[in-house]
Amino acid sequence: MSEIAIHAQKLSKSYNGAVYALHDLSLEIPSGAVFGFLGPNGAGKTTAVKLLTGLLKPTDGSCAIFGISPVKKPCEVHRLCGAVTETARMYGRLTGMQNLIFFGQVIGLTKRECRQRAETLLKSFDLWDVRDKCLSSYSTGMAQCLSMARAMIARPRLLLLDEPVSGLDVESALRVNTMMTNLAAQEGVTVFLCTHQLQYAQNFCNSYGIVSKGKMLACGDLESLSREVGIPLRARFRLREGQTPKHMECLNDGWWGSDLSEEEDMPDLLQNLVSSGFDVFEAQLVHPSLEDIYFKLIEWKGEET
Amino acid sequence: MKILTSEEKTVVFKDFGDIWENKTARSILFLVPFMMTLVLPVFFLILLFHVPSDQIKGMEQMLQLLPAQAADLNGRQSVFYLVTNLIFPMFFLMIPLTSASICAASSFILEKERGTLETLLLTPLSVKRVFKAKVLGGIFLSALTTAVSFLLFSIVMAVGDLLLSMPFYLNWNWLVLFFFLSPVITVFSVLFMALTSAKSVSNTESFQTSGYLVLPIVLLFMGQFTGLYQVNAILLLWISGILFAADLVLCFFSVRLFTAEKLLR
Repeated sequence: MSEIAIHAQKLSKSYNGAVYALHDLSLEIPSGAVFGFLGPNGAGKTTAVKLLTGLLKPTDGSCAIFGISPVKKPCEVHRLCGAVTETARMYGRLTGMQNLIFFGQVIGLTKRECRQRAETLLKSFDLWDVRDKCLSSYSTGMAQCLSMARAMIARPRLLLLDEPVSGLDVESALRVNTMMTNLAAQEGVTVFLCTHQLQYAQNFCNSYGIVSKGKMLACGDLESLSREVGIPLRARFRLREGQTPKHMECLNDGWWGSDLSEEEDMPDLLQNLVSSGFDVFEAQLVHPSLEDIYFKLIEWKGEET
Repeated sequence: MKILTSEEKTVVFKDFGDIWENKTARSILFLVPFMMTLVLPVFFLILLFHVPSDQIKGMEQMLQLLPAQAADLNGRQSVFYLVTNLIFPMFFLMIPLTSASICAASSFILEKERGTLETLLLTPLSVKRVFKAKVLGGIFLSALTTAVSFLLFSIVMAVGDLLLSMPFYLNWNWLVLFFFLSPVITVFSVLFMALTSAKSVSNTESFQTSGYLVLPIVLLFMGQFTGLYQVNAILLLWISGILFAADLVLCFFSVRLFTAEKLLR
């Protein structure tokens, strides 16, 4: 059984005692997972990151990072995880290299180790050419990449990323994403990714938690989430014009569709169509998107409340 | 036992760099001591040699403030003695006060304002260690500024004493002021700013708050002109003792209030 990277039990936070920014968050994320924590602005994502890093104390409930409580031992948690939040900035008067060396030394690395690690990271994030320029002259994308590099300087086992590609251009976003995917795949780093960009999360995460108004609406991988909200897999076929199969819904441009209970039903359905004399030009297995699931969930929970 | 670990020293040196790069902080850190220890005393000396002592307004009342040991001094010497012991101590105490406030404001409040404090708190350095590094860094820089200022001031005063054929200005008052009162004022100012950093939203606001610290010093020394009391070494020792106790209380509260949550609110 894999180690649990993040454990939260009824984790709640209220800033004023009346309204909860996060309410009863319970989740368990195994080590090596790339978990997408999704929700609109103000859903409680940043609060969750700050609770997991020990910057905030929970009003109720508890959490642990690799079994360590961020409330009791925040320093030990910080040794294990790198965090990037929108409000955690670096020193504008220092260069990219100086910033990384500073944070490396604060973590406890020697200056030589810091320089070596900084060199690798600056090259990975394509910041090598601007390493000796002050951070204040960096673009938003470059500054964000440097923050990612800072979070990775001590080779963390967990990365807590709050909107890491927000405001980035396509190239910078791609660089951040590639780095994140490589870290997860090659080094087994667990990633807790907070974002409101659903398509982006679907591309990189293997499990999701959907949060709205401080409450977790659903949690799981894409398949379990689509089952939970009742959005089935769909088979789509493009047939010869004029052919009309029974028990199939007519879509547009000669396409026909049918719901599937599981992926395994697809070959049989296709075989039946062909053996019944239909000319199949194209066949598609359509998984529900995270966006479909998200809006269905919001619609459901909205109706409940 | 090391006072600061290498990680804490990294923070301290970074803070020194921040202060140096901050034009306002740098200029205040240089200007205040320069004005208080060089410009004003030199200006006063020049004035003293150019204005006849019998033309100074309120001279009679001022001479009544002279202690018994200064009874033999002539007109010019008496004025120099009075200003050296009644006015300049007040100016001098502005140095540890302002330098400590500037250092602490830069390392606590500016860092909070720029959003870098959160990043620092995300490192394995505990909040208490960040606090310790910043407080000790502020105290060190302020103490250094005060010591250098004292040296410069002593040189100017020695020149004045030579020109006026007076004994060296340093007396028990000044010794207590430099060795006891200045350090406790430095610590008080740094801790006061650290404490207010959890509440202050901006650097400007924190500077305004630090203005309250100047008031008691001005009142203490200006109050002597009422003739009701005289600031002597014993009184300064008492004040140092009280401020030392206040430092301990402030330290206790600052450490308790210096939490990540309160700082980032």
